[in-house]
Amino acid sequence: MSEMWINMGPQHPMTHGLWNLRVRIDGEVVLDVDPEMGYLHRGIEKISEDRHYNEVVTLMDRTCYVAGLAWEHLYILASEQALHITPPERAQYIRMTCEEFQRIGSHIMWYAAFVNDIGLMTPFLYGMRDRDLVLDLFQSFTGARMTYEYMRVGGVRNDLPPTFTDQARKVLDWLTDRFREYDQLCLGSSIFHKRCDHLGVLKANDCIAHGVTGPMLRSAGVKRDLRKDRPYARYDAVDFDVAVADGADVTARYLVRMEEMRQSIRILRQTVDWLEHHPGPVMAEHLPRWLGAPYAPVGREGYLLKRNYAKGVGFSAVEEPHGEAQAYVVNEGTEHPYRVKFRSPIFANLSAARQYLVGYRVADIPPIMGSVDPCIGEVDR
Amino acid sequence: MQPDDLTRVLAPKLGENLLGVEAFEGMAGRVRFRREAALDLFRAVRDDLSFAHLSMVGGIDWVDHREVFYVAWSDSARQYVLLSTDVPATDAHVETASAVWPSANWHERETWELVDITFDHHPDLRHLLTPDGYAFHPLLRSFKIHEPEELEVKTRHV
Repeated sequence: MSEMWINMGPQHPMTHGLWNLRVRIDGEVVLDVDPEMGYLHRGIEKISEDRHYNEVVTLMDRTCYVAGLAWEHLYILASEQALHITPPERAQYIRMTCEEFQRIGSHIMWYAAFVNDIGLMTPFLYGMRDRDLVLDLFQSFTGARMTYEYMRVGGVRNDLPPTFTDQARKVLDWLTDRFREYDQLCLGSSIFHKRCDHLGVLKANDCIAHGVTGPMLRSAGVKRDLRKDRPYARYDAVDFDVAVADGADVTARYLVRMEEMRQSIRILRQTVDWLEHHPGPVMAEHLPRWLGAPYAPVGREGYLLKRNYAKGVGFSAVEEPHGEAQAYVVNEGTEHPYRVKFRSPIFANLSAARQYLVGYRVADIPPIMGSVDPCIGEVDR
Repeated sequence: MQPDDLTRVLAPKLGENLLGVEAFEGMAGRVRFRREAALDLFRAVRDDLSFAHLSMVGGIDWVDHREVFYVAWSDSARQYVLLSTDVPATDAHVETASAVWPSANWHERETWELVDITFDHHPDLRHLLTPDGYAFHPLLRSFKIHEPEELEVKTRHV
């Protein structure tokens, strides 16, 4: 049969976002792929140059719409380094709690979408049901279920409500049982194994050469997690294990993500305990007035006078649910960042698409791409 | 790994093309180099210093010149390193890193279209985030987001 190019996307159930996977096929066999990105490019890095530091947080929720708090954390860490600000410890624990709950929320969203791709409808509904509990928690202290706008340079916007710790523990207990159920539904299903085993194999060497990070890298047996290797916030103070698997295929990525959620629960039990016993300020003192934080309202002088503040460059790297996200913030002594650059983990994971798709069948593409967990908002920015 | 360790390995390889190694909070250091020695530096950083994983390539428009920066990670040192080089705005090009780190491919495509820095010998320098034929470079300081742009989008035919 003659070869041809077909378009999977931009509107295809496999894409989980807005992008186009061009596939060259010979019959059923994939010979070449060429991802076409840019459908969701909103110029977030450019818009950031015209905004105050805290106003960029709004854009971070839109960068990855299933892991908004992790991206807020990333940006805030880099900005604080660029602006020479240290947040109080309680704020750091709250941010960690946010990030771990966000990881669970993001992974459940991935689970729901992924199992739907391979033909298991029931787990999809279970996943969406349980993710709502995480969103309820976020709503209780940020007021929003998707675009939180919660973190600020120097701390977080507001403290947690008094009911938070009890509610969080209930959610964690519930999820612990549900994850067991998730595993039974998937690993006990022969459909799952037929559609996932030995597919989309990407070995450790290829992962590293092509910049692949996160669950995809750990599923190839590389024990690398920025929370362990380069601890930020207070990850050095909590106890957890790095989830790894050695299959390097779709099933291994499933196992890694499920284990990560269990480890997140382990971290969350520690941070929730800490938060219960350590009240305190959640915002740094003596912030510059122009930062616009709630404790330091923006006055006229902040907007009208262009003064020279201390310059600085900030770099942060965060183990986002999808992999290693990085931010590079250049502060040239004005109220706006001079340049903001983000590294999206899925951007790198998708750029290696040729490595893990070529040679498989067309029908294998949805489970393989599902296991990559693409979130196009953060690829295109 | 400290900035001195980087200097000790890189100085003999690069000579005067190594402009300096500075301390950078949270990283092994910031290596500033001349673009003529880009390939030598990439190879030395990957092979001799074991920074096997290139995470990010980006560009900054400083109006009078442009800066290209690279962030790489070493699994053995568990550290990042920042490499940066300055290129003149009128002649903004640098050798591609994708021959050394294949992961540079898409990052360089993005930097090329958004910051207008050309990467020589890049295997596939096409538009990535902006449409084909898009003649603007949005991340240059001269690009104002409030002014309308005239845009003719070409469709890529299969």
